[in-house]
Amino acid sequence: MEEIVQLKEKNQGPGSRLEKNDLRIGVYVCHCGKNIAGTVRCEEVAQYALNLPGVVLAADSLYTCSEPGQEQIKADIREHKLNRVVVASCTPRLHEPTFRAACQSAGLNPYLLEMANIREQCSWVHLHDKEGATSKAKDLVGMAVSRAAKLSPQFELTVPVLRSVLVIGGGVAGIQAALDMADAGYKVYLVERTGSIGGRMAQIDKTFPTMDCSICILAPKMSDVGRHPNIELLTLSEIKEVQGHIGNFKVKVLKKARYVKKECTACGDCIQACPQLAPDEFNAGLSIRRAIYMPFAQAVPSRFLIDMDRCLNNQGIVACDRCFQACNPKCIDFADEDNLLDIEVGTIVVATGVDVYDPTALTELGYGKFPNVITTLEFERLINAGGPSGGELIRPSDRKRPSKVAFLQCIGSRSKRSNPYCSNVCCMNTIKDALLIREHWPETEIYVFYIDIRAFGKGFEDLFQRARREGVTFIRGIPGEIIEDIDTGDLTLLGENTLLGSHYRYTMDMVILSVGIKPHKDAPTLQRLLNLSTDTDGFYMEAHPKLRPVDTTTGGVFLAGAAEGPKDIKDSVTQASAAASRANILMSKGEVSVPAITARIDLEKCTACGFCAKVCPYHAIEGDKDLGYFRVIEAACKGCGACVPECRFGAIDQAHFTDEQIVSQLDKALSEDPHKKIIAFACNWCSYAGADFAGVSRIQYPHNVRIIRTMCSARVSPQWIERAFLKGAGAVLVSGCHPSDCHYNNANQHTARRVEKFWKRMEKLEINKDRLRLSWVSASEGAQFARVIKEMEEGLKKLTPVKIQEAADKLKKAICKKREAS
Amino acid sequence: MKYALYLGCAIPIKYPGFEAATRQVCERLGIELVDMAFSCCPPPTSMKLVHYDSWLALAARNICLAEEAGHDLLTLCSGCVNTLKEANQVLKQSESKRRKVNKALEEHNHSFQGTVEVTHILDVLYQDVVVERLIKEKVRDIPIRVGCHYGCHYFRPPKVMYPEELSDSESYVPVKMDHLLSIIGVEPTEFSRKFLCCGSPLGANVDQDAGYAITRQKLSYIQERNIQALSVICPSCFEQFDLGQIVLSRKTKDGEKIPTFFLTQLVGLALGLSVREVGLDVHRVKAKKLLDSINII
Amino acid sequence: MQEERGIMTVFKIWKHFKREELYECYQCARCTGSCPAMEVAPAFGPRETILKCLGLGYDQLVEDEKLWLCCTCNVCEDRCPQKIPISDLLVALRNSAALRGNIPGRLSIAIELLAKTGRSMIVHQLDEMRSHHGLAPLPPVPVDEIRQILKKTGLDAVIEF
Repeated sequence: MEEIVQLKEKNQGPGSRLEKNDLRIGVYVCHCGKNIAGTVRCEEVAQYALNLPGVVLAADSLYTCSEPGQEQIKADIREHKLNRVVVASCTPRLHEPTFRAACQSAGLNPYLLEMANIREQCSWVHLHDKEGATSKAKDLVGMAVSRAAKLSPQFELTVPVLRSVLVIGGGVAGIQAALDMADAGYKVYLVERTGSIGGRMAQIDKTFPTMDCSICILAPKMSDVGRHPNIELLTLSEIKEVQGHIGNFKVKVLKKARYVKKECTACGDCIQACPQLAPDEFNAGLSIRRAIYMPFAQAVPSRFLIDMDRCLNNQGIVACDRCFQACNPKCIDFADEDNLLDIEVGTIVVATGVDVYDPTALTELGYGKFPNVITTLEFERLINAGGPSGGELIRPSDRKRPSKVAFLQCIGSRSKRSNPYCSNVCCMNTIKDALLIREHWPETEIYVFYIDIRAFGKGFEDLFQRARREGVTFIRGIPGEIIEDIDTGDLTLLGENTLLGSHYRYTMDMVILSVGIKPHKDAPTLQRLLNLSTDTDGFYMEAHPKLRPVDTTTGGVFLAGAAEGPKDIKDSVTQASAAASRANILMSKGEVSVPAITARIDLEKCTACGFCAKVCPYHAIEGDKDLGYFRVIEAACKGCGACVPECRFGAIDQAHFTDEQIVSQLDKALSEDPHKKIIAFACNWCSYAGADFAGVSRIQYPHNVRIIRTMCSARVSPQWIERAFLKGAGAVLVSGCHPSDCHYNNANQHTARRVEKFWKRMEKLEINKDRLRLSWVSASEGAQFARVIKEMEEGLKKLTPVKIQEAADKLKKAICKKREAS
Repeated sequence: MKYALYLGCAIPIKYPGFEAATRQVCERLGIELVDMAFSCCPPPTSMKLVHYDSWLALAARNICLAEEAGHDLLTLCSGCVNTLKEANQVLKQSESKRRKVNKALEEHNHSFQGTVEVTHILDVLYQDVVVERLIKEKVRDIPIRVGCHYGCHYFRPPKVMYPEELSDSESYVPVKMDHLLSIIGVEPTEFSRKFLCCGSPLGANVDQDAGYAITRQKLSYIQERNIQALSVICPSCFEQFDLGQIVLSRKTKDGEKIPTFFLTQLVGLALGLSVREVGLDVHRVKAKKLLDSINII
Repeated sequence: MQEERGIMTVFKIWKHFKREELYECYQCARCTGSCPAMEVAPAFGPRETILKCLGLGYDQLVEDEKLWLCCTCNVCEDRCPQKIPISDLLVALRNSAALRGNIPGRLSIAIELLAKTGRSMIVHQLDEMRSHHGLAPLPPVPVDEIRQILKKTGLDAVIEF
């Protein structure tokens, strides 16, 4: 059993009260075994704490986070009527929830807990400097106590979550997610842009590695969706507007006119009558359809539709009614109109899928010029029994069966000329295609020109081996150019076989380009509507690549399928079920609590200038000049704090990270020997975590730094920096996430902007710019953090208290001048 | 429209017919040409490979002459345009290079300023106002099937030569010559490996046969498509096809030879110039039979 | 990149080409597949050249005569998916090679002619031929100026003139 080594209680005599409200702060300095106590003199720190204003109790304990440790805190809260608790121990990123829970169970509001990081950011990084570590620990405790004095109780807002979900995209991922959630009992709106669900999987002939018929395994799922009582299927529909927040999204869906009523029996009499032609998108343009058509045989809904762009009646006048005449159930309705629907849902799943790369731009391959150069998607349709050639493998130029075919890999992938990433599925798709050809037309010579074969999944290597055993020839070296024999339509491939180091010239009957996949062309529109992040390739970004692969940083919105990154059917289905599960968590609880660190606006001080709303990454602040004020939509606010420094009227602040609280930490830190200190503002997700990681890795750095945590570096106000310099700080560091990694959707661009502005100010006042530093440090860059501190400490050595005072004076003068001017 | 005419070496010395044709064509189409004491560009296939600094300095000198006279440079040769355009771009973008080159040029009172542009006769003729004039002034059509050989140095690397024309796949596929010739009644005909190098640099630097081996491949693709004549925009390419067919035919009877025209010769013929005026009589592969068949003398 | 490539006075290609850029080559061979020299010399190729640069170091490479088979047609760079400056690299390698005396005979003669006369062709009864075409004589090249410029840029390290 752990023993509390010493307990000291302060005498509550008159005059010892420093705050108007009766503060009773309890401070616990943890030994953490030898982790802290081996470097920091914990007893001394506790003794120091006892003498701080507002502190009525200070103790040091061996393992504060243990059962007995927590019980002691709870007991003290009750017995000594503590109304603030400070725990000086490990990083809050580890145990803040633990101690908050302890406070709560003792009846103390959990937001009245403050922690001082004297392990990861003190004892572990100053192992050989016991003096420095101890004095720093005292400072950190002092800062925590000052801040604790300014904390107010907070109550987390709970937001109800509607038990309905919007799934955007009707491919296999959207279908799977919709079915999972509908089966779980939720109402699902499945919005699909085209006339039928099915997506890319419906176009594929067979799937790898099992060689299942793709539409055969998909069609039952599609029927389930069509029949499911909980799924409202909205085809020919697009998302037009999304308002609201997690738990309650208000979405406007434009359901386009189909011109064919529900009574359609899919008999097909109308097609015979229609005079208008169009390329059939489902068959990748290899065949013709009419203006009135069914997307494909197994379409769900099983209903025809009219492509009004091709129909002769597109001017609003019925110029041609042949289909109407031919239709027995009389279900064609030219008067059909687009419909704007309003729906409300609690969660959203984005499953918008992919397009294939168009290789026309790679002119050396002749796609678009030479008829017998086709893409793998076109090949899928040719070889599919329901496709334009009834499943016969024929060449476009003369409809003859090719006896020699070549597949070219990495077309439109792994390239700065097209898409830089690997498209994941093309290698296996080609292997599958090769085996299909081998199966049906065994005498065909099949060549695969590749750079690397990626056969990483379950059963993939087997399939690759099978292809090799079946005599498919793999040649490592992509052709530089394709030439056509204009008389025969044959193609000659010119290239180098890198494994042999020799040149080749192969003549083929047909060339199939294994094209890459890229985000659907409407992805940017949806991104804007839902406030999502995309990576540099245009795929939607997940909240965390390892631990939160289907969440987005927008609460309540989840990702599924290839929209998040190129992947095959199995991974799409897996991800879809994962997204459904994540949405389920929110919807089954029926409510979600919002951390009480949101921005709050003082309506009296607000002048409705709107500057705060402009920088909010989540559009969580709304209002206008006419209204006279702006207000925060608490459920949508993520607590980054980027808005606060924008306000010139002091009307907005961030709960639990108020200006007053941070400034109290700052003042305490600089109350002694400020010229020796570096004040570092570090963001919770990256830089603070990076500093912690330095500690975990035991990377040593100078002890002069005092880290102040904010959720986002964009919370850092230039006024804090100003104050730090006025108070004589040696240097200030503002550190956040790398520009493309900001946890709050690029809020750190504002950080950069503000720091740059401050630098200009410093330049103008001839204050050494190096005293303010901006760094981007990620959670894994402990060494980088340490390096930055070391460099700044070197810089400090060149400063003298006199120079610092001079600079402070200059700054003060400038501020006074500005005040007088305004 | 006034340009400093940059002739290079090959055309004024070896193929003055191209120069004559060009001058006449420009006069008829309202393009004014100014002559200057230019020196060798120097070629991107010789000097640049041997000593880059010297290449840059000599190119800069030529550009300076044009700058001093205040005119953009009009070149007739793919090699020259490649050298001068690239040197112009490099010197405009890099202060350190500029300083270094100007040091070599200063005692001769030259200093690169970056005030002029470099262009090729094909681009100049392709301008809207010149094309309009051409349509007005032409007196006859040239109804033959022509294969356009742009060569390499005219348009590659596209980020140097035609940065504004880059496609989605960061390439540039030129079409100007095909379009321009179709205006004078030509039937521009595609052929395989249209943009393959003619082989001239190999022939010049290493071994003639090596160069002609590449030319032979091109000729076989050209012959496949029943092309009656070739149109080129570079004297080196011209020689590969003209002299090349003679040399190659000594070894193998490769079928009928195809006459090669320099672009301005074809344009000149359309404008009414005679065969002699455009200097066709000195070509080794004669075009007489072909031109007779369409009544051009 | 274009920035740094310019002055090759120090013939260390790593000063002008970032190693990382060349490492990006995943040996797809589109470059060699497009190369015109393939017709003539199957043993030469841009892909192999890059591989050698990274592996064997360029010392052995610059002594190889096959470097001169390159036509500088630039198709390799055009088709390279990683946008590796292959053509630029081959120019730099040949500059290096020339410094070491690896330069084809025909080429040194051509350069010598250029350095001495300011033109790359021998002028032979030129004025006569030009007047046959109705052309004025060519303005003479300021040969001394050319020579002095070339002395200043250091061409004599490679070619005597």
